[in-house]
Amino acid sequence: MNTAARFDEIVHAPNRLQICAILSAVDSADFATMREALRVADSVLSKHIRVLHEAGYVDVHKTACAGRVRTSVSLTSAGRTAYAGHVAALQAIVSNEGLQPGVGLRSPVTTSG
Amino acid sequence: MESHSGPGSEAAGLATGEAATALAAIGASRSWLSDRVIAPCWFHPAFGLLAGAVIAEAEIRSVMLFAWSVAVYTIACGALMWWNQQRVGVAIQYFDWRTRAVYAAHVLALTGLIAAACWLGLGREINGAFLAAGIVAVPLTVVFGRWTDRLLQVRLQAS
Repeated sequence: MNTAARFDEIVHAPNRLQICAILSAVDSADFATMREALRVADSVLSKHIRVLHEAGYVDVHKTACAGRVRTSVSLTSAGRTAYAGHVAALQAIVSNEGLQPGVGLRSPVTTSG
Repeated sequence: MESHSGPGSEAAGLATGEAATALAAIGASRSWLSDRVIAPCWFHPAFGLLAGAVIAEAEIRSVMLFAWSVAVYTIACGALMWWNQQRVGVAIQYFDWRTRAVYAAHVLALTGLIAAACWLGLGREINGAFLAAGIVAVPLTVVFGRWTDRLLQVRLQAS
């Protein structure tokens, strides 16, 4: 399946790009696993996940397990599309194809991070 | 909020080097993930020992003991898989057609091994047939388990 190249500023922030890269390969990932992957503090990871959540790119699930609340995160279909489009846009840039007329910019909800 | 002169302006301003760095970061994240899903070195041998012990235990010819060993095997395998799931911390589609084929081959190989042990041990009354089959089951399980892990690792890196 060909994905339309579409640069996405929300996804492009380094930590959020890593979050999306991991989540795109799995059904869901635990918060603790993501924190370990990114090597960031809880607050930093929470902030990035909140940005992705507000954009409709991730779902956050909380389940009680052995007296503890376990938080897991998964990409939504919109998140998968945005991530795939962003990767295609990056690949287009790297392969010196330049931006095609259809390669647009997704207006960000926020550009922090 | 940043201002943009038009659609694609941010992407157009992105240097090739920055895009390459971003793609490299994606690759690094995938590598980290694929390394993480690989089970520790003792994991598949543990499954192998459990399977081997159940098969070898049939040498004693006690139906009750065999039933208990199958129950212990089932619980222990479930516990190992649960532990590994907690360790990895991700939910993943473990099976695609390749891993399903390897898993089917593993089940068929073990079934063939058990059938051969039954034929030799019960049909021809050769002592040690189940014991030998149990010993063979250990490396067999390790090989198929690591094969499945490798396929999963390649799939994660390629996706």
